[in-house]
Amino acid sequence: MQSLDQLKRRSVTPDWGASTALADVSGQTAIAGIGETPHTGASGRTTKAMALLAVERAIADAGLEPGDIDGLMVGFGIEDQLTPDDFRAHFQTGNPLWYNTQGGAMVWAATCMHTAAQAIAAGQATHVVNAFAVDWATRRTEGRLAHSEYHADEPMKAHFELPYGWFPQPVYFATFARRHMHEHGTTEAQLGALPVAFRRHANGHPDAVMKDRTLSLEDYLHRPYLASPFRVEDCCMISDGAGAFVITAAERARHLRHRPVIAEGVGHGRIHGAPYIAQQGDITSTPQVFSAPWAYAMAEVGPLDLDVIAVYDCFSMTALMQIEDLGFCGKGEGGSFVQDNRLHFDRPRQQGGIPCNTHGGFLSHAYTLGISHVIELVKQLRGTAPNQVRDAELAAYAGFTADEASTLILRRGDR
Amino acid sequence: MIADKLTDPVCGPFWRAAQERRLELCWCTQCDAAVWYPLAHCPRCAAPTTWRRLSGRASLHSWSEVLLPINPAFPEPYITALVVPEEALGTRLVTQLVDCAAADLRCDMPLAVCFRPLVGQEPDGCLAPVFKPA
Ligand SMILES: [Zn+2]
Repeated sequence: MQSLDQLKRRSVTPDWGASTALADVSGQTAIAGIGETPHTGASGRTTKAMALLAVERAIADAGLEPGDIDGLMVGFGIEDQLTPDDFRAHFQTGNPLWYNTQGGAMVWAATCMHTAAQAIAAGQATHVVNAFAVDWATRRTEGRLAHSEYHADEPMKAHFELPYGWFPQPVYFATFARRHMHEHGTTEAQLGALPVAFRRHANGHPDAVMKDRTLSLEDYLHRPYLASPFRVEDCCMISDGAGAFVITAAERARHLRHRPVIAEGVGHGRIHGAPYIAQQGDITSTPQVFSAPWAYAMAEVGPLDLDVIAVYDCFSMTALMQIEDLGFCGKGEGGSFVQDNRLHFDRPRQQGGIPCNTHGGFLSHAYTLGISHVIELVKQLRGTAPNQVRDAELAAYAGFTADEASTLILRRGDR
Repeated sequence: MIADKLTDPVCGPFWRAAQERRLELCWCTQCDAAVWYPLAHCPRCAAPTTWRRLSGRASLHSWSEVLLPINPAFPEPYITALVVPEEALGTRLVTQLVDCAAADLRCDMPLAVCFRPLVGQEPDGCLAPVFKPA
């Protein structure tokens, strides 16, 4: 296995992006508590009310009291996330809170473990709660979900992409998917294996928005195109919901309520020329190619050691490409790899599978932008997941924001 | 959507050339390479950039036909694409494909530029470079 120093010295391949030089925080911190709200369509709930419920549940799950929490991480750029004042007002606590906005979901659901490890090591916090909430289903119903705002605010997108209707995100990744199919022979039936596997997982998961709606490959192939080659089933849902988890030192976590889940490796990578992914050097890959090697090196493991993964599946093809980029198969082999139920929870690695998105992912569980992916992995490593992977000991989350990706490797800890 | 499309100091030359039915890209004459998206100075060598007229011949990198309502401003169906100009192989133009059906398309096929007004673009009737099978 390469050490971090070896990895840093290695010439960067490919050349269209780079790894972020994260410090080695392997084994330092653990996830000690998890909490979620119900995941629903338009509900009228506010992000803050949902986040506070998830935080309350995560603190209780850890066996802690609100007064024990001295750190709060949230995401920036998403509307109405929690502030320290919200926390103190709700829980009637007066304690100071270390506050950091490089948390939440997406790539930060992974890198928050690195950020929190450094804050905990520096004595800035002891028990950090990372929270994320989204009310986009409600916003969409009320006509407040403006897909084009982000694109119109980016001057080059506004000048050279928006006028041609190359937005929003389904159009980006439908275009990328077409190129993957052309270069690598990936078929629509192979692409459909992802939404079908994730739907089966949602059908066995009590919290999944799509728990009562089945999807066969035949159903999938008969659905109309949204933006070819994508069907609606290839694209994330929009839902309301929140998740939170409590991060603390690994040694401290051993004395809390549950078996700790240890952060063994963290990675992050970014494309050159961000955010203009139309110019990305290879649109059949993702920046996960720059992130995963760093996390593997930090954790001193490789893809074949993993028992279960949760991959940012904003679209079927972004999950397929990240499965390649995580190293489960070669570039272009993802289409054949994901067939034969290889992503299903009951096809463990010992049988050549890699259970993926065992809660149903964004395609069928909920669109909480990745925090529920991490929470699902914690359940898997505790042995309490609805679709439990037998003897799951090692897991990875692959986070994504189009021009950035992240990787978090988690291990079942000892009591 | 962009009131100052034609007068924008960085991006305006692309749109002004299009009104005269020319496809132009921002170019570094020192590096003899495209700078895309445009910048006043080359990110490689810092020389001031200029604009260069291209032949309009390109290849189809990839495409998607939008068939269900996804953009209120763009009535479906339409075909949006990434194309690679023959003079700038590391550059992709975001564009639309016209005068073709999705069934006729395959990645890497040759294309030629043409100029059409796009739906919803200011000023009214503003021409945009789009592509059709060569
Ligand atoms: Zn130059």
